[in-house]
Amino acid sequence: MTNWVVTIASNADTALVEHLSLGQQPMLEAMRNPALHGPAYKTSFSQLALGIDVLHQSQAFVPEKGNGYSLPYLKVNTYHALNQRSTVWGEASYMTGKQHNVKWNSTSDYDLLQPYILADTLGGDTRRERYSISGGYAMSINRWLLGAEMLVRAEQEYRGHDPRMRGIVTDLTLRLGVGCDLMRYRLGAAIEGNIYKQTNSVAFYREEGVIPEYQMTGLGTEYSRFSGDKRSLYYDGGGLAVMLHATPINKNGFYADVTLDEHRYHRKLAEYNSMPLTDLYNEHTGATIGWKKEKGNRIALFGHFDYTRRTGNEHIGGTSDARYFPVIACLTMYKSHILETSGGALYGRGNWNINMTAGYREVSEEYVYPHRQMDASHVYCSLQGQCFMRPSDKCLLTLDARASYNANTGDKLQMPFANMNAAFTRLIQHKHQFATASYTDFGAQLRADYALKQSRYGLFAVVGGGMVLCSASEHQTSFHSSIGITF
Amino acid sequence: MKHHILFLLLIAFTMLFTACAPVEDDIFTTARITVSGGNDVTITNVQAQVKLTNVNSRQVTTSADFNGASTTVEVLRGAYQIDIEGVATCQSAENVIRMRQFRCQSDYVEFIGRDVNEVTLNIIFLD
Repeated sequence: MTNWVVTIASNADTALVEHLSLGQQPMLEAMRNPALHGPAYKTSFSQLALGIDVLHQSQAFVPEKGNGYSLPYLKVNTYHALNQRSTVWGEASYMTGKQHNVKWNSTSDYDLLQPYILADTLGGDTRRERYSISGGYAMSINRWLLGAEMLVRAEQEYRGHDPRMRGIVTDLTLRLGVGCDLMRYRLGAAIEGNIYKQTNSVAFYREEGVIPEYQMTGLGTEYSRFSGDKRSLYYDGGGLAVMLHATPINKNGFYADVTLDEHRYHRKLAEYNSMPLTDLYNEHTGATIGWKKEKGNRIALFGHFDYTRRTGNEHIGGTSDARYFPVIACLTMYKSHILETSGGALYGRGNWNINMTAGYREVSEEYVYPHRQMDASHVYCSLQGQCFMRPSDKCLLTLDARASYNANTGDKLQMPFANMNAAFTRLIQHKHQFATASYTDFGAQLRADYALKQSRYGLFAVVGGGMVLCSASEHQTSFHSSIGITF
Repeated sequence: MKHHILFLLLIAFTMLFTACAPVEDDIFTTARITVSGGNDVTITNVQAQVKLTNVNSRQVTTSADFNGASTTVEVLRGAYQIDIEGVATCQSAENVIRMRQFRCQSDYVEFIGRDVNEVTLNIIFLD
C-alpha cells in the first residue's frame, strides 16, 4: 500500500485518496484499456454527485462554441471489486443547461466535426441535454487479464427561437482489452470501436426572418450550391482505435502507452436522397513514455507526443435528376494538423502531490484552393498541486490548485480577404486573434468529505473556480460546485 | 489464447492502417473550350472573355487567351457553367470573312477528367 494512505484514518478515506489522487495521473491513459482498468485501484469507491459547471468569456474565444455555459448535472460513478479476480465499474449521468451566444455554428459536437458544420451569422443561446452511461468489467485468469467496456452518449442541442437549430447525437463506443503479466511488467492491448450519428436541422418560424445557413468547408469557405435553404442534414461516422500499454506491476519502473486511432465523419444532405457533401478523416497518434516510483516518495518523469491529422474531402455534385445528385468527383480541400509534444514530472510526498509539465503545441489549418492558411504555435508550462488535509477524524479536505501559461511563438495567416464577404472576414479575424493569443490560466478547487458515523456513507461538497487571462484583452471565468454522497 | 489475441490485434492493426484517409490531391484539370460555328460558319479567330462559374462553389475563373477558336483554362475539377462573350472572325460557306459579335453559353459542363477535358460550344451571333 502506498505511503500517503498511512496518514488517512478510515478505509473510506483510503479509497477516496486513491481515486482522487493526482498521483494516479500516469495511469490514466492505460486505464482506457478495460483489462488494465480492472486492477488499477486497490479499493472500491462510488459517488453520487449533483453539481453545476458555469463558464463565462468576456468575448467568445471560439465563436462556434459560444461565450459560456451553465450546465447542471447529476452523476453517479462506481468502481467495485467483486472479488480478487473481477471488477466492475460504471458511470451514469444526466446534464442539462444552456450554452450562451453560439455563433457560426448550428451543429452539435463542434470539436468533433469542425470544420464541416452548418452555420449562420445570427446564432444565439442553445439548450443542451445529455444522457450518458458507461460500464465495464474486467477479470483475471492466472497471469492474463481480460476486460470490456461500453460507453453510450445521447445528446440533444436545440434553440427555442430563430434560427431554431437542433442536433440529436447518438454515440456508442465499445472497448475490448487484454493484459498479460510478463516478468516485472503488465503488458496490455485494447481495441476500440465507435459508431456516431447526428441528425442536424435548422428551422425558421418567422417567414420574414429567414437567413442563409452555410455548409461550412473550413477557414471561412462554404459549399455554396447547397448553402442557403438546405437546412437538413445528418452525420454518419465512427472509427477504430488500437491501444498498447506497458506498466510495471509493482508500480516502480518504466511505463509506456501508444494509441493509434482513425475516425471518419460523413456529412449528408437529408433532403437530397442522402447526398454526401463532405467526409472528414481524423487520424491520431499518441505516445507516452515515462518512469515512475511509488516506493518512498512518489516520483514520475514522462514525455508525451501527440499528432492529429484532419483531412477533409468535398464531394462534387453533378447535375440533379429528381432531387438526386450524383457525385462526379471527390477532392481533398481541407488539411489540418495538431502537433503536441511535452515533458513533465510528478512529485508526491505524504499527503501532497505536484505535477509540472512543459510542452509545445502547433496547430495548422489549410484550405487548398483558393489557398487559405492559418497556423499558430504555443509553448506552455503548467503546474498542478494537490494536498489532502485532515482537520478532524471525520473530515477530509482536498485542495487542488493549478496555474499555466501558454505563450504564442508563431503565427501565419493567409486569406483572400479581397474576395471574401465582410461577415466571413470578421469570423476569420476573430478566430485568428484568439488562436494566436497567449493565455494565463489559474484556478483552485476545495473538496470536503465528511464520514457519517458508523456508516459506509459519506457526504461531500466541492467548490472551485478559475480564470483565464487572454492577451487579446479578454478573459474567462469559470465556477463549479457539487454536493453528493460517497459509498 | 495467446495466439487468438495476437490474431485479433493483427486484424485490428490491419484495419486501422488500411483505413487511412483517401487523399485526392489531384484537384486541378485542364479545360479546352472550342467555339463552333456549326456546318455553315468557320471560326478562325476569337477575341472574347470566357467566364467559368463552378456550379458547387460559385467560384469564377476568367480567361481571354484564345488560340484560334479554342482556349485552355486550368480549373478545379468539377461542374461548370460557361459564358463566353466577344467577337469572332467568321468565314461563311461563300468564303465571306466577317467580324461578328457573339456569345456562347452552357449551364452545365463537367471537367472532372485528370487530363484535358474538351468541350465545344455552339456560337450565338448577336448582330
